[in-house]
Amino acid sequence: MALPNQQTVEYPSFKLVIVGDGGTGKTTFVKRHLTGEFEKKYEPTIGVEVHPLDFHTNCGKIRFYCWDTAGQEKFGGLRDGYYIHGQCAIIMFDVTARLTYKNVPTWHRDLCRVCENIPIVLCGNKVDVKNRQVKAKQVTFHRKKNLQYYEISAKSNYNFEKPFLYLARKLAGDVSLHFVESPALAPPEVHIDMAAQQLHEAELAQAASQPLPDDDDESFD
Amino acid sequence: MDDLEKAILICFDESGGVDSVLKSQAIAFIHQIKETPSICSICVEKLCFSKLVQVQFWCLQCFHEVLQIKYSSMSPEEKSFIRKSVFSMACNENVNGGGNNYVRILEGPAFVKNKLAQVVVTLIYFEYPLIWPSVFIDFLPNLSKGTAVIDMFCRVLTALDDEIISFDYPRSGEDVAVSGRIKDAMRGQCVPQIVGAWYDIVSMYKNMDSVLCSNVLDSMRRYVLWIDIGLIANDAFTRLLFELMLNDGLPDQLRASAAGVVLAVVSKRMDPKPKLVLLQGLQISRVFGLVAEDRESEFVSSLASLLTGYASEVLECSKRLSTEDGKEVSLDLLNGVLPSVFYVMQNCDDDSAFSIVQFLSCYVGTMKSGSTLTETQLLHLGKILEVIRSLIQFDPMYRNNLDILDKIGREEEDRMMEFRKDIFVLLRNIGRVAPDVTHMFIRNSLDRAVSSSEDRNAEEVEAALSLFYALGESLNDDALRTGNGVLGELVPMLLSTRFPCHCNRLVALVYLETITRYMKFVQENNQYILMALGAFLDERGIHHPNVNVSRRASYLFMRCVKLLKAKLVPYIETILQSLQDTVAQFTRLNNSLKPSLNNSLKPSSGAEDGSYIFEALGLLIGMENVSSEKQLEYLSSLLTPLCHQVEVALSNAKSEESLSYVGNIQQIIMAINAISKGFSERLVTASRPSIGLMFKQTLDILLQVLVVFPKVEPLRCKVSSFIHRMVDTLGASVFPYLPKALEQLLPESEPKELVGFLVLLNQLICKFSTRVHDIVEEVYPVIADRAFNILPRTDVLSGPGGGCTEEIRELQDLQRTFFTFLNVIAMHDLSSVFLSRKSSGYLDLTMQLLLHTCCNHKDILIKKACVQIIIRLIKDWCTGSNDKEKVPGFQCFIIEAFATNCCLLSVLDKSFEFHDANTVALFGEIVLAQKVMYERFGNDFLLHFVSKGLSNVHCPQDLAELYYKKLQENDVKELKSFYQSLIEKLRLQQNGSLVFR
Repeated sequence: MALPNQQTVEYPSFKLVIVGDGGTGKTTFVKRHLTGEFEKKYEPTIGVEVHPLDFHTNCGKIRFYCWDTAGQEKFGGLRDGYYIHGQCAIIMFDVTARLTYKNVPTWHRDLCRVCENIPIVLCGNKVDVKNRQVKAKQVTFHRKKNLQYYEISAKSNYNFEKPFLYLARKLAGDVSLHFVESPALAPPEVHIDMAAQQLHEAELAQAASQPLPDDDDESFD
Repeated sequence: MDDLEKAILICFDESGGVDSVLKSQAIAFIHQIKETPSICSICVEKLCFSKLVQVQFWCLQCFHEVLQIKYSSMSPEEKSFIRKSVFSMACNENVNGGGNNYVRILEGPAFVKNKLAQVVVTLIYFEYPLIWPSVFIDFLPNLSKGTAVIDMFCRVLTALDDEIISFDYPRSGEDVAVSGRIKDAMRGQCVPQIVGAWYDIVSMYKNMDSVLCSNVLDSMRRYVLWIDIGLIANDAFTRLLFELMLNDGLPDQLRASAAGVVLAVVSKRMDPKPKLVLLQGLQISRVFGLVAEDRESEFVSSLASLLTGYASEVLECSKRLSTEDGKEVSLDLLNGVLPSVFYVMQNCDDDSAFSIVQFLSCYVGTMKSGSTLTETQLLHLGKILEVIRSLIQFDPMYRNNLDILDKIGREEEDRMMEFRKDIFVLLRNIGRVAPDVTHMFIRNSLDRAVSSSEDRNAEEVEAALSLFYALGESLNDDALRTGNGVLGELVPMLLSTRFPCHCNRLVALVYLETITRYMKFVQENNQYILMALGAFLDERGIHHPNVNVSRRASYLFMRCVKLLKAKLVPYIETILQSLQDTVAQFTRLNNSLKPSLNNSLKPSSGAEDGSYIFEALGLLIGMENVSSEKQLEYLSSLLTPLCHQVEVALSNAKSEESLSYVGNIQQIIMAINAISKGFSERLVTASRPSIGLMFKQTLDILLQVLVVFPKVEPLRCKVSSFIHRMVDTLGASVFPYLPKALEQLLPESEPKELVGFLVLLNQLICKFSTRVHDIVEEVYPVIADRAFNILPRTDVLSGPGGGCTEEIRELQDLQRTFFTFLNVIAMHDLSSVFLSRKSSGYLDLTMQLLLHTCCNHKDILIKKACVQIIIRLIKDWCTGSNDKEKVPGFQCFIIEAFATNCCLLSVLDKSFEFHDANTVALFGEIVLAQKVMYERFGNDFLLHFVSKGLSNVHCPQDLAELYYKKLQENDVKELKSFYQSLIEKLRLQQNGSLVFR
């Protein structure tokens, strides 16, 4: 879909909306991609930054225009107006701050009100931090809404590509699509403790076998 | 286009093509318009005439904002104006009654219609049923206008659920009350009419507008949860819903939506008896045949959820109903639906499989282990096992990717491992209730796999072995050791097997993992030891052509050696011989290789794995029942070449390539370190001192590394961990080496390195206490100097927003370790170190830091450690006699500063949480401190504490006297509980009211 007034490139491009509570690391995440950093433009008053990020797939180059809605919580701006014509989305929360996970359903609802039926990835960021508050097994929202979930660490580049790859596959309708070269990323600022991460992922897998928590208290009529 | 429209378009434009000054002007302009009193009529006007979707969206956003923020202050006229305008738009009417060229919102894009629905729902939130009771009733007659209004009505109902009713979102208590109010009013007023409208719409439009019908059903599904179930679960509606599902001429989406509604009906919370009647009445078997349709379709996936949901519900009924109430009926229904569930599971995607696996786990959970299972149950279990086996198999198309582990291979492996985890839980549950069936199944799977055709062979073998491996996780020690039944047959069979596809990476890996898991059986059955060793030592294991396999084999071999080592003594020679080439490779590699600079600083992860072979060998050689001469011979054959490598590297280090040796030296130190783990302190120091000597010589050489490469962090780190090991292994005989080692290791000022150094000192103090007095006295002033320079005097703060940067974390880590260090010193009779000539300059700073920390630090455990230090210092430095003070000013500091600030004021603070276990332990120390102060200082302490401390916080006289009495008694526990109650009383009194807490 052509975006109104969006600068165009000759290869497929998609509008990607990134939402989530303030401080969850949305901006850090998009800025890991160095080509994005180079071309970014900045609109501090409204609080949205659009970063064009390019990826090389086996089917050719694609571009995500990442609408990083950082800071809008405070500034107001156009709020869900930024989502208009969004073709895919990332909802970010911070595994070290419980409230940011609690607000995920609300972000999801607001997003879907404007963009019906788009592929969405849920990202739990900052998994490099040792004392996390949202354990992998507590993350269940994506299962209710058929979203994809990834644990990421923007700082250490851990799983950076995963959300983009998932969205690219969904948008292309090709499950075997893959990235043929890694994007240039800023060097990791921290190194993730792989042993601890594997533990979390084991937890995640174990959690996957647990029933969803009952959260409707509606009694029968 | 007027100015407002232009401004809105500019604000929405993120293409980068808009001048930034113009943009900020536009933003200011629309912001200003928003604040004008007539904003509502401006918006209505724009909504009537502007065709620009951004403008429409912005106007509706304005309504939403105005209602949310200003509703209570708006005039009734204004409210009525918005209500009428919005409702007209939703019903596709002309708002102003004006001419023909007005804009119809309902013809616009979905996001504008959804925004309109949100505004309607916001009005409902404030006005239904009191102010605007007719909203739903008024809507219904408009539905006859056609699909646009019906579609809008659906959007309103969906938004109502999302914004107000659904429990999926965090809601305030007030919002929950509003939701209850709205639901009650709707139930009493209009739900039957709405359901009637749903029925009519779907009946009428099912062949004409399937998208519309699908939306109606999706919206309706949300309401089944809280409306009278009889309105949907009746003959007419059920017939309609099944008709939709069964008509394969209809679009998938519509059939899927119908299945969604039936699932909601099936999942409705009800008592089991009426629920069973409902489930039975549905005659679900009508749709069983449909699962065979195209597996990719939306409908089949929706049907899969329906069948799984149905099966879960009948299972639940069978659990909750007694025999006379219909237990049998529900079991019949369950047995009826299960074959379809198996079919679906076999053919569905990962997501659906997930919920089916969950359900099947519940199903298996109803069978008790040990009880006799019925024929049907056994049949079902067998079927589930078969489905499991087929689900966990890799697709042969990935065989090569998985073998060389390229990107695609790695992804496929990750996906499968993730997917298997839940399925294996199910497998183990089945293994528990029906062990014989499961074991036989695994044996047959292995048999079948071995004889399967070449194009599936590797995948089948891998799957069968993975099943066997996964099963092992649930077997207890006893079962593993005795190997009852088929197990006792399977393990030897496996050990003696070489699969034709053994060169496959995955097969080889899971083979090794499996025999490691069942090694306890070998431990009990010595006749298989040689076979097991063979599996690790030949080309199935450490000599496997794939380096990933051989590395993993080294690690697993080490674990087996740990388990079996006592039984391996006769085989040491054999093992050493088979590993000769691998060990030599490790040293030769370093000999011949002129290492390149770029890989020298970070050894590959392979190097880490390489050391496991040395750990295994160390464990074998280090046993007491290896003869002294043999031990010496073996150890020297390993250590001598390794040490020689280091010496060569060190002597060449003067050349400019010196850094290129770093990686190699690191690897060698890790190998030596690994070997040493097998040797106990007793053996090395008491029974076989010649072995000890060999390690001392090694230590000597490795300490040289620090001299030659003083600034290379990875090397310092490795040598440092070797020193840790030698402290443990050599015991006190390590002393002569310590001064040199510590001198070299004493870091400049990096927090991380200082932490490492303190950890080493803590180990020394804990192991040797006063015997390392001189050493600690020597290094303490240097450390104190560094620590006080690096650490802030107060808490290490966390960053903005509670986040933590890596530097802050490092500082916190250093602070914690430093306090542990002070605590360890005090607790091991070394407090005199603080008073030595060179250290006394830091005494004042140290005491201030301790005082501040025990009053204010966020980490309760650190606080406790500091209080313990102070207690110890009081005991050590204040003898209680009236002689000259050992540390002048100390007593005064303790009584005036510590007693009041820490023992009283910090505890009085409400943040001191008596419900927290750590805090209670800290409180115990604080009470103990008072007891000790009273013992040592007597009335000097008491007078000050009561007259200055307690009286300043307005403690009543009688309580102060009681405190004095309790303090004199010899019961610390009693004192503790009294003091807690005293503090709680004082807190109440401070707040002046009981309500506050």
